[in-house]
Amino acid sequence: MEGVSFMRRLGTLVVLSLLQVLFLNRIALFGYVTPLLYIWMIVRFDSSMSRVSVLLWSFFLGLTIDIFSGTPGLNAASSLLLAMFQPGLLKLFVQFDRHETVVPSSLTMGGRQFAGYALLLVSLHHTAYFILRSIPLCDWSVLVLKIIFSALLTFIFMLVMESVSASSGFKH
Amino acid sequence: MRSLLDFIVRHSYVFLFILLETLSLVLLFGFNDRQRLAFMTSANSVSGTLFEWRSGVNSYFNLRRDNAALLEENVRLHNMLYELTDSQKVETARALSSQGVIAARVIDNSVRRDDNYITIDKGSRDGIAQGMGVFSPDGVVGVVMAAARRYSLVMPVLNGNTSISSKIKGTDNFGFLEWTGGDPYKAHLRDVPYHSDVKEGDTIVTTGFSSVFPENIPVGTVASVERSSNGYTLKIRVNLAVDMSNLGWVYVNSRTIDPEVEELYEHINR
Repeated sequence: MEGVSFMRRLGTLVVLSLLQVLFLNRIALFGYVTPLLYIWMIVRFDSSMSRVSVLLWSFFLGLTIDIFSGTPGLNAASSLLLAMFQPGLLKLFVQFDRHETVVPSSLTMGGRQFAGYALLLVSLHHTAYFILRSIPLCDWSVLVLKIIFSALLTFIFMLVMESVSASSGFKH
Repeated sequence: MRSLLDFIVRHSYVFLFILLETLSLVLLFGFNDRQRLAFMTSANSVSGTLFEWRSGVNSYFNLRRDNAALLEENVRLHNMLYELTDSQKVETARALSSQGVIAARVIDNSVRRDDNYITIDKGSRDGIAQGMGVFSPDGVVGVVMAAARRYSLVMPVLNGNTSISSKIKGTDNFGFLEWTGGDPYKAHLRDVPYHSDVKEGDTIVTTGFSSVFPENIPVGTVASVERSSNGYTLKIRVNLAVDMSNLGWVYVNSRTIDPEVEELYEHINR
């Protein structure tokens, strides 16, 4: 399978951004637990993408979310950090050779492997995100709670997305 | 030299990462100027239009609730009107009605961040300017931070930088209402003198000192009272009157500051 086309990626970016800024940003369980599902796009970047394009796509995804959430640079910075680690982590969780293209999903990697990979990426992103967001405040206990519960919520949303796309065979 | 170039080309993504990450961090920490913040947030016309569209769809789901709230307010206003005509306070009523109030719809709102902002669908062309007070039928909402042409950005009570001069209803003991993050239904009233007579359940209202808000707009009720660490003032926990997570329509107090008062302030500041 070849890499996903530019237009298709752009479409994913627009759809995930709209979902995030119009609906998910409004969710605030217990006052501060919010799912950041938009990073689903970065989690699903396949192994054929160059590291430069992974970084560029992630940056523009983050910046789009930022413009509509009124948080200049926040999502862009944490998405970039995620994009820096995504290709390496994918290699860590699944074996493939140079000519193969692996799209990270429960079908290609196996359910448990994919869950571990996704949870690690989500935790990484949310840690960076919440630390950057609360730099002027120093309430560590609240910060840790925010990271843990938001990461769990994002992870659950991701599993739902994953099961939907796996069962519909959408990404084959 | 060649191997150095090779190294750079092979690791170009690292340089790109550093470049973009620096750019993001500059955006994140370099944006303190109010106007630029207003541009980046949902007061700019691109996201303003998007949020207005969403709010337009959402508002249909809230029609029943909004209607009930309007009806309630109408009843209250009618009652007040009767009281006023009864007690010959028509002069006061006239004074109140001459002060301009602009109604606006909330098109974007957050309560979960450490610094929250609200976007409303009225801007400078509707007569809104920086520093005007925003309140809902239930009570104080916040202060206009920046006005774009069609939209304005409001700094609500639920923002670490907001400080609203408020007093305990019926007394002259006042303090400053502040929010320190966390619970979107609670805030603190700071700097109330220690000798003040405050009980749980007392109502907190605006002072009207700064003319950002008219006097006696509800702020909340006293949840608990404790002595602050310096010992001279009270730290009062306040249950906010307004449910910030559920704002539909708000009023903007567009009464300008009395020029004479302004002159006085300028004189003092000089």
